[in-house]
Amino acid sequence: MQFFGGSDISPSPPVTTGSGDNGHMMYIFNRNGVCLLYREWNRPLKTLDAQQDHKLMFGLLFSLKSFTAKMDPTSVEKGNLGLPQLPGQGCSFHSFRTNTYKLSFMESPSGIKIILVTSPKTGDLRESLKYIYNLYVEYVVKNPLYTPGTPIR
Amino acid sequence: MIGVGKLKQYTNVLEKPLSKGKQEVSLSAFAFLFSELVQYNQTQVDNISELERRLEDAGYAVGARVLELLCHREKVADSLEKGTEHEDEYMISEKEPLVNRFISIPKDMGTFNCGAFVAGIVRGVLDNAGFPAVVTAHFVPVEGQQRPRTTILIKFAEEVLRREARLG
Amino acid sequence: MAPIAPRSGDAVFANVERVNAELFTLTYGAIVRQLLTDLEEVEEVNKQLDQMGYNIGIRLIDEFLAKSNVSRCVDFKETAEVIAKVGFKMFLGVSASVTNWDADGTCCSLILEDNPLVDFVELPDTCQGLYYCNVLSGVIRGALEMVSMKTEVTWVRDMLRGDDAYELKVKLLKQVPEEYPYKDDE
Repeated sequence: MQFFGGSDISPSPPVTTGSGDNGHMMYIFNRNGVCLLYREWNRPLKTLDAQQDHKLMFGLLFSLKSFTAKMDPTSVEKGNLGLPQLPGQGCSFHSFRTNTYKLSFMESPSGIKIILVTSPKTGDLRESLKYIYNLYVEYVVKNPLYTPGTPIR
Repeated sequence: MIGVGKLKQYTNVLEKPLSKGKQEVSLSAFAFLFSELVQYNQTQVDNISELERRLEDAGYAVGARVLELLCHREKVADSLEKGTEHEDEYMISEKEPLVNRFISIPKDMGTFNCGAFVAGIVRGVLDNAGFPAVVTAHFVPVEGQQRPRTTILIKFAEEVLRREARLG
Repeated sequence: MAPIAPRSGDAVFANVERVNAELFTLTYGAIVRQLLTDLEEVEEVNKQLDQMGYNIGIRLIDEFLAKSNVSRCVDFKETAEVIAKVGFKMFLGVSASVTNWDADGTCCSLILEDNPLVDFVELPDTCQGLYYCNVLSGVIRGALEMVSMKTEVTWVRDMLRGDDAYELKVKLLKQVPEEYPYKDDE
């Protein structure tokens, strides 16, 4: 599967902040928690096997989403902690930062989750995530030979 | 009810005003539909050439109808007749035909080319216009390009060539 | 970053790449013809068309969301309006109207003002039970399932069967919340 480097992609890539070489990993999950794509560029430390790693990442986002919605001071419809939410329900977070990395996240109403793990100095990546979502639509979803819900080859 | 008033019932398809000929749908609607055509036919075959043959068949049905439409608009392709004066093989080359636009072919499918559908359309048009031909789709590598171009090769039947020679 | 406003169906359609509607119509015709040859039973063809629509729907939803900037709908009523005004327009270049709401807002009708699938089509006598446009109901069902709505979509009126319009009934069965997909002991 050729994911980058397509010649004529309709939406133009957003201008990214900072210099290159600050990306660590990227994940794309579907609504069933299947990791459709995982790429790493710079990940010196690995402690888990791939499958566990993907599960942990998905679980982190799942819980974080549920917590952030529960703590929302502006919204009345909160549901109970731990109870499943409808996608797009409640507020949603789009990034968090630690002293060593930044995680940026977007989720489409159809449950596609795109995660970028980058250097903590990275700026707002929401446009970039959206751009990746567009690439996913153009090059994965529309490929007649792609079976939905399977990892991207 | 909004909009319903505009609809008129036609008991016979021939009573419908011939369509304006300029209507469009989105390319992705076509891409998704074509995608299903490919996926469905994949479930019906054992090998790639069989798959291409079925796509060509589907294309043929489209081509035959396209010709009818063209005739209705009195725009019968005359460039075709001119083309047959000298050789028996013709090529239509396209960098990226619609049907191959979104495809990325896994290694285990080898030379599978969705252009077979286009070849079928071309054959359908030619056949029904009285120019039986063998039409095939091929990938032709282009230097310096990752993706090959698709060439539709048209080889007219001998009877066509003889007839054209007589007329010619 | 201010949220981007959803775009109107006309605006989206004007901006996407388009193809000749006849190519689309004839290709669909070729598919139906293939199915009639392969499956023989009209009922099976209806089922397969619906399945194909469903397969399209679960893919098409992402294209729809990416291009239209629709982020979420408050309720099923809004969803139905968005399908009719943005969805149909964006893909088929036609729009539909929403009517016949039931009292609790979970069931409505979509009425197509124009239907590019059926140009040049007339059903022969042998195909009288065929829902020629069944792919559409499948698309709607598949797309809505991806945004957590289980629906039932059925044809109420079909001009190819002598009715005076194309009318689809869309009934919301339930909203399915997102669940944690892994079991604990996995």
